[in-house]
Amino acid sequence: MTESYPSPAAPPSRRTALRAAGGGTLLLGLGLAGCRSAVSASESAEKGGAAEPRRGGTVSVAINSDFTPSLLFAQSGQSLQHRLVYNTLTRYDDELTPRPELATSWHYAEDGRSITLELRSGVTFHDGRPFTADDVIFAVKNLQNPARAAQLRATAGVITGFEKQGDHRLVLKLAHRVNNLFDLFEFMIITDRNSVEEALKGTRLNGTGPFRLTKWSPGSGLSFTRNDAYWQPGRPYLDAVEFRVIPQADALVSSLRTGQSQLTFQVPGRNLAVVKSSPGLTVTEYDTGGGAQYLGVNTTVAPLDDRTVRQALALAVDRDRILKQTLGGYGLASAAPWPKSSPAFTEAGRTHYGHDPAKARELLRSAGHTRLDLPLLHLGLPGDTAVAESLQYDLKQVGVHVTLRPTDPATAQKDLISQKMPALWTMSHGFAQVQPSTLAVSAYPFNEAKNTSKYRSAKYTRVVREAWTSPATGAAANALHREISDILLDEAFIIDLVIRGNVQVAAKDLHGVTLNKFAYLNLDNAYLAA
Amino acid sequence: MGIRLLRRLPSALLVLLVASFVIFSILRLVPGDPATSLAGPDAGPETVAAIRDRLGLDEPLPLQYVHWIGGLLTGDLGPSYAIGGQTADLIGDGLGATVELTLGALLFVVVLGTAFGVLGATARRGWVRATVRVLTTGALAVPPFVTGVLLVLLFAVVLKVLPSGGRVSVLTAPDLGVQYLLLPALCLALPSAAILGRYLKDGIERALAEDYVRTATAAGVHPRRLLWRHALPNALPPVVTLLGMQTGHLLGGAVLVEAIFAWPGLGQLAEQGLTRRDYPVVQDLLLLLVTVFVLVQLITDLVHAWLDPRIRWE
Repeated sequence: MTESYPSPAAPPSRRTALRAAGGGTLLLGLGLAGCRSAVSASESAEKGGAAEPRRGGTVSVAINSDFTPSLLFAQSGQSLQHRLVYNTLTRYDDELTPRPELATSWHYAEDGRSITLELRSGVTFHDGRPFTADDVIFAVKNLQNPARAAQLRATAGVITGFEKQGDHRLVLKLAHRVNNLFDLFEFMIITDRNSVEEALKGTRLNGTGPFRLTKWSPGSGLSFTRNDAYWQPGRPYLDAVEFRVIPQADALVSSLRTGQSQLTFQVPGRNLAVVKSSPGLTVTEYDTGGGAQYLGVNTTVAPLDDRTVRQALALAVDRDRILKQTLGGYGLASAAPWPKSSPAFTEAGRTHYGHDPAKARELLRSAGHTRLDLPLLHLGLPGDTAVAESLQYDLKQVGVHVTLRPTDPATAQKDLISQKMPALWTMSHGFAQVQPSTLAVSAYPFNEAKNTSKYRSAKYTRVVREAWTSPATGAAANALHREISDILLDEAFIIDLVIRGNVQVAAKDLHGVTLNKFAYLNLDNAYLAA
Repeated sequence: MGIRLLRRLPSALLVLLVASFVIFSILRLVPGDPATSLAGPDAGPETVAAIRDRLGLDEPLPLQYVHWIGGLLTGDLGPSYAIGGQTADLIGDGLGATVELTLGALLFVVVLGTAFGVLGATARRGWVRATVRVLTTGALAVPPFVTGVLLVLLFAVVLKVLPSGGRVSVLTAPDLGVQYLLLPALCLALPSAAILGRYLKDGIERALAEDYVRTATAAGVHPRRLLWRHALPNALPPVVTLLGMQTGHLLGGAVLVEAIFAWPGLGQLAEQGLTRRDYPVVQDLLLLLVTVFVLVQLITDLVHAWLDPRIRWE
């Protein structure tokens, strides 16, 4: 037998519900009506008209990883803020010709064993202290310190002596001639020698650059305000710059589409199509490239010690598909490491290994292999995983069965440095955007003396050393660049896949944004159109 | 109540001690260390050695453990290895952001959960109960990373009434802060609100079926008074326990929501610390989370005893 009871309790009456809803809406309305809008506040910078330089305004830059002060002197994933706070001695133009910054002119000694720098006078640090030759001496010595982990330490190490001729003339004595000294000058930020330890902690960045760091909120962002005493007259136009850390790609894109951010360089390839279709945004690709994705080969693991097998792998890869699927088409499919802006770039080098599975199979057969089983280490990040899966598919078509080994960046870094990579790995490298010799001297995967592939060759060492110590331009330099390219392509210990596009996404009314070759953001001439 | 607290304290301290040892050991077992991570791919062994020396990573592990615990006890958490700044400041800032998000979410959980529970149990119209059921099922089934993206698309991209991400502290600028908080807090709260609503609905239904309710109804007590004064308080103890557990889940879930809404809380800090093998930050953070869990359980236990005299007199 079941009993049924009348419902003993009543829900809130309609009147009560309406009162509650009405009261709530009224409170919210009254509250928000008297408030600033977070959306309109951030959108105000988005609106604009004609492209005329205008003083004032704040630009919000979206970054996917925070500033790491301990890596201030190393090339890291996030170096955008460097050129806002600091200056370098020189800056490259598109043809890799050095242009003045804090060094106004320079001349090499005839034997190439010293260089005299004329330094800009009237430049002050943000704390008012004048910039002198001592600051350059400190900057060089600072990069020579192994604890700074600077990638161009080898080049800084070539500078063995300093001769100060007054406060604004400095002679750098070199152990031997090098042709990538201006790579160092492009890379080396001039910091205040009295506060370098504070800079490494992120508590105080004192430079000569166009903006002062006013606040760093770890994990959240950085705030910069205009340096009114900047040495370049009338610059910068902007009053302030805000960096906002937005690690998640979709959130970063939303931030751009809603006008909360006006600039970024970190939209992943697969999201660029969405951004490109947004009416208020422009997408610009830099020729310098943003590093290159490569397939690394451990040449001490059989049968990869056989160059023919390595060449077969290079032929098996469909670079165009990787470019399209993982980078949204922004970049350059290339068998050689050089971006288009590099003096070593040639179309023949770029297309040296086309996608030719039949030829790859033939080469493998000629080396006595019909099936290979190899491990492939990759970073467990979405973009890197997509590249690894593409490689897995391509290699399987020629009988090379790859087992993927996803790894976190810190572990991969350790394996890379300690030469403990498995048979195959895929990661990205930089340093091909400057003098070609820098790649072989400063990018670990290509280092002639010690590299992760454990590839050594007297010829490679000779050519790299010769290229490093010869003049940077001229027929002899071109011949040496070709020789380096030929060795890299022929030996295939690093199989380049695609040069990543350095892609800038900006609000349509933001103009005058540039990057240097090491992705330092230059906003000296940037403005929001009136 | 005090005796109850004293009885629980030793086990709580033991949990913290064991946790500190496990956290310290596990981090050292993970491949890769801060020095290699900081040195970068171009570094030679001498660079790595110089950084290891600077960070004190050459010291024997037991000594490193003692230094860490000693620092914690004296309130000196030391500098961060990779992120920069003092660990205490980093955690303090991150904690403020996460607590703000969690409290915002908790408010949504309580309000929405109560609404779901009361309406689900007492609504006379079938379509209201069905709607509540659909809403709670949806809130439970759709993961926060989907809800988050949908909320951003609707309120930030299409309607443009709320920001898509970022944070302004509610304490420094309440008017802006609330706008930044609304979407992430709602996204974080929805699954917990649905769970709470379902528990509360069952609790209210059970309470309403009790004999005393029938007696009170017969005695002429107003149905609304019966619900709010008698049935609801009796349905609350298990819900409060659940709320304690959900607070822990909210803290954990905040990691994902923080990434979606670029909310600079402990989740993002933990991700950064782990990626860069920033031992001090990760160790202190994990131990802090364990401490919070232990405290929440302790408080839940005490509140439970306060609400239910039978437990209090055990």
